[in-house]
Amino acid sequence: MLSATLAVVRRDLRLAFRQGSDSLGAVMFFVLAVVLFPFGVGPGPDILARIAPGVIWVAALLAAMLSLERLFQTDYDDGSLELLVLSPLPLSVVVVAKVAAHWLTTGLPLLLAAPVLAVLLGLPAEGFALLLAALALGTPSLSLVGAVGAALVLGARRGGVLMSLLVLPLYVPVLIFGVAAVDAAVSGMAVRPHLLLLAGFLAAALALAPWAAAAALRQAVA
Amino acid sequence: MTRFANPNRFLRWSGRLLPWLAAATILLFGVGLYLALIASPPDYQQGESVRIMYVHVPAAWMALFCYVAMAGAAAVGLIWRHPLADIVAKASAPIGAAFTLLALVTGALWGKPMWGTWWVWDARLTSVLVLFFLYLGYIALNSAFDDPGRGARASAILALVGLVNVPIIKFSVDWWYTLHQPASVIRAGGPAIHPSMLWPLLLMAAAFTCYYLWVLAVRVRGEIVAHKIRALRLRQAYG
Amino acid sequence: MKRKHKRLTFVAVGLGLLGLAAALFVSAIGDSVAFFHSPSDLANQGDLGDRRIRVGGLVEEGSIERGHGTEVRFRVTDLARSVPVVYVGILPDLFREGQGVVAQGRLRGGVFVAEEVLARHDETYMPPEVAEALKQAGTWQHMGQHMEAAGAASMPADGYQ
Repeated sequence: MLSATLAVVRRDLRLAFRQGSDSLGAVMFFVLAVVLFPFGVGPGPDILARIAPGVIWVAALLAAMLSLERLFQTDYDDGSLELLVLSPLPLSVVVVAKVAAHWLTTGLPLLLAAPVLAVLLGLPAEGFALLLAALALGTPSLSLVGAVGAALVLGARRGGVLMSLLVLPLYVPVLIFGVAAVDAAVSGMAVRPHLLLLAGFLAAALALAPWAAAAALRQAVA
Repeated sequence: MTRFANPNRFLRWSGRLLPWLAAATILLFGVGLYLALIASPPDYQQGESVRIMYVHVPAAWMALFCYVAMAGAAAVGLIWRHPLADIVAKASAPIGAAFTLLALVTGALWGKPMWGTWWVWDARLTSVLVLFFLYLGYIALNSAFDDPGRGARASAILALVGLVNVPIIKFSVDWWYTLHQPASVIRAGGPAIHPSMLWPLLLMAAAFTCYYLWVLAVRVRGEIVAHKIRALRLRQAYG
Repeated sequence: MKRKHKRLTFVAVGLGLLGLAAALFVSAIGDSVAFFHSPSDLANQGDLGDRRIRVGGLVEEGSIERGHGTEVRFRVTDLARSVPVVYVGILPDLFREGQGVVAQGRLRGGVFVAEEVLARHDETYMPPEVAEALKQAGTWQHMGQHMEAAGAASMPADGYQ
């Protein structure tokens, strides 16, 4: 079962690397969206430093959501999703494998780009480690919850708009505690509860999201 | 249960029930509103503004109740493929969304004089706003497919996923120290509302519940008739 | 592995993860994720600089002083420590001594300069005559007497018995 799971991960990673523009798209969007803010709110360093955690988190959220479309859509279009549903590997494990590949090609690059953007926005030095820790705990949850939305809108009209309506409200807790963790670190308050909540959200998403996404995929190809 | 769940039987017995539900709703609203707005005393802290509670609290309860009812019906439709359950879930969503909006709007109207602000981003208010978006997402997803059966199944899964939000809403005011006050009626140690205010509140809640059942029955009947018409048209078209 | 065993393993893993999530949530809530900070929190904090924060607690009895125009000075207390607050603007109807309040603003030289003052009310509702009767009978318990010194836990209020 493990080797089959890894095969799905490898396949998705290979697909992502061969069509490099797709997976780079999310990071490019992330960087551009954040870089727009100094133009929008003015280059005053105190304002930028104060809103930096929120800006980075919101941009990461939107970038993660935009990249979700290719999670199942191409497989759905070319019919390989039906083969994955019929394969002896349980569908929820397939979902976990695909989400892992999705996170490695979008969540991880976002994580690597975040410190550079934090420098550009002048985030105080105390916040850097926490920003990375919060993103590391939060972005896998975004991929997992997003997988449910991506599976639900397969074959729907206006799938993209619909997905943002389904997924963004469910992203709210990650955003709240992700930003709160960085804010708390910058102002010297307790960060532990926020990180615990992010970790708890990740554990809950890992338990429920693959199962829900698998149910959604099964009814999509039925 | 299954005896009443056949669509044709439902049309028959709900038709008989409908006038009674309508009468109960109007009667309960009449008595409840009179007690809430005129006969009940003002609050020792909030004065006359407390009367917003008699609309706000039942609306918020119904927002949660409708969601649980919708998710329950959706689960029945998903597991046993029961057509009436899908219709009940679909018909509940707009009613629940309306109750949620009513709770949010009356909450804002209450918050301005009491707290000093229309809106704060505390745990209770945010989680109820998420509930409102879940309703909208459900409605949008339900109608986003050419095949209504797929729409029903996909949105049923969404409704079940969104169920995790319900305990968060209920307990947000106990778990987090927020601006919104903790629960007054359903709480350990009995209600913290004086009986002279609790009874009008419970009457209003009963009125809201009857209203929900009434509108739900009307909507479900409409949906069933629409299904029948579609089936007839298809039979005409394909002979 | 048989199909049945496989399914059981999945259910066990799922339940384990949910249990882990619940444990994490519970321990986080024990750490008080608050909408605002109590005066005791502020006293334990280092230098906050010029950050906007929220302070919550009760308006200390006998501490309200009205200044020029709409300027108001009062103290917010969590019954362990208190912090002086100055605010210029219109106060909500519920603002009064002993009432819960949340102020947003900045700490400047030991004085909290509020930009917004929100009133918080408890979950108790009763007619004024009943409140008066309870006060006279001596069974009155105001929310302040219940508020925990830490100010972080929820505020039980038993207005009447």
